[in-house]
Amino acid sequence: MADDLYSVLGVSKTASGDDISKAYRKLAKKYHPDLNPGDSAAEAKFKEASAAYSILGDEEKRGKYDRGEIDASGQERPEQRYYREYAGGEGGQQYYSSAGFEDLGDIFSDLFGQRGAAGGARGGGARNFAMRGQDANYRLEVDFLEAANGAKKRITLPDGGTLDVSLPAGVRDGQVLRLKGKGSPGSGGAPSGDALVEITVRSHPVFKRDGNNITVELPLTLAEAGLGGKVEVPTIHGPVSMTIPAGSNTGQTLRLKGRGIKAKAGTGDQFVKLQVTMPETVDDELKEFLGSWRDKHPYDPRSKLRVGT
Amino acid sequence: MLKERDLVAKVPKLTVSRLRVWVNEGWIRPTAQDDDGFSEADLARAALIRDLLDDLGFGEEEVPVVLNLIDQIHGLRGELRCFVETIDSLSDDTRTEVKQKLTVRRAKLYRTEP
Repeated sequence: MADDLYSVLGVSKTASGDDISKAYRKLAKKYHPDLNPGDSAAEAKFKEASAAYSILGDEEKRGKYDRGEIDASGQERPEQRYYREYAGGEGGQQYYSSAGFEDLGDIFSDLFGQRGAAGGARGGGARNFAMRGQDANYRLEVDFLEAANGAKKRITLPDGGTLDVSLPAGVRDGQVLRLKGKGSPGSGGAPSGDALVEITVRSHPVFKRDGNNITVELPLTLAEAGLGGKVEVPTIHGPVSMTIPAGSNTGQTLRLKGRGIKAKAGTGDQFVKLQVTMPETVDDELKEFLGSWRDKHPYDPRSKLRVGT
Repeated sequence: MLKERDLVAKVPKLTVSRLRVWVNEGWIRPTAQDDDGFSEADLARAALIRDLLDDLGFGEEEVPVVLNLIDQIHGLRGELRCFVETIDSLSDDTRTEVKQKLTVRRAKLYRTEP
């Protein structure tokens, strides 16, 4: 509360009652909360002026205040609930007027496909038009195997709703799935928009993908490569047993037909790249064996490198 | 809901006859004329009309003009609130985009003002 009520109203201590009323009226017109909805500074100023006027506007109280018998906080007006507090909520809408900004109301309609709250109240110009709902965009990150084999996923939407997405087998990284009618609702009987879901596929430590074909690197022991035999190979559908021919080499690729992605457009194969691998430690026995074997069976795997030199 | 006499009792310097004049003028529109027809909003509106007439120096001629302007402002604020809440419900990316474009737009708007 201000110390000097006269300065609050902007009048001198010798001002007449009429001058005080005029000064208050001027401030009240400027700062009345209902003439300044949404402005809390105006409300504070209005309360200050009202409190000052409640004392200075009353001859008797003004006299007491001048003699120091009551202080500036003397009498507060009872709290008034301003109309603006209701105008924005329940019960206030009935007075909303859209006169003068019909054009804005239509802009909102165009944007959101429906008429805003105030629109129909008194304007009477609510247009009945049909507009398809907007498409909604989402992103969904899925595991490699989910993408390869297909899966059902559920997206939680910002508004708390959910969206079920059925991933077709073989969905690609970056592919956009269109879910018909799962976007924003249309207006005026027009259909809803679609949900567009962009798929991101996480990579896999074992499987690589080329279209609907899958590639796997398969490490072999020296013996498996040399002698051949059955080896277990992982596929996206589970492990299978594969026969390695004797004398297989690093870099050779074997094909497992039909073990790739079973997409609608066709089924891919799995390619198995062989990788002959030495044991972690080469022990004396192996050294001895290789040494005697080398002397009896010399061969030159680098003969081709010398062509043209 | 409030009865006519409850409303009058809650607004200082208001009488039943004054309130009836205001209702007749259409400044206050209770949902039911007889009993229990007044809302809290009607109560606050009556207090506003009393302020306009008694304290702010407006006459009977001016009150409907002032009320009309206030009603337009609240209608506009209601529309604007819908708009803002709708933007609020969008994804972070979209909201950021709207915000940026709005900033540019507003800069233009205020530059062209005299």
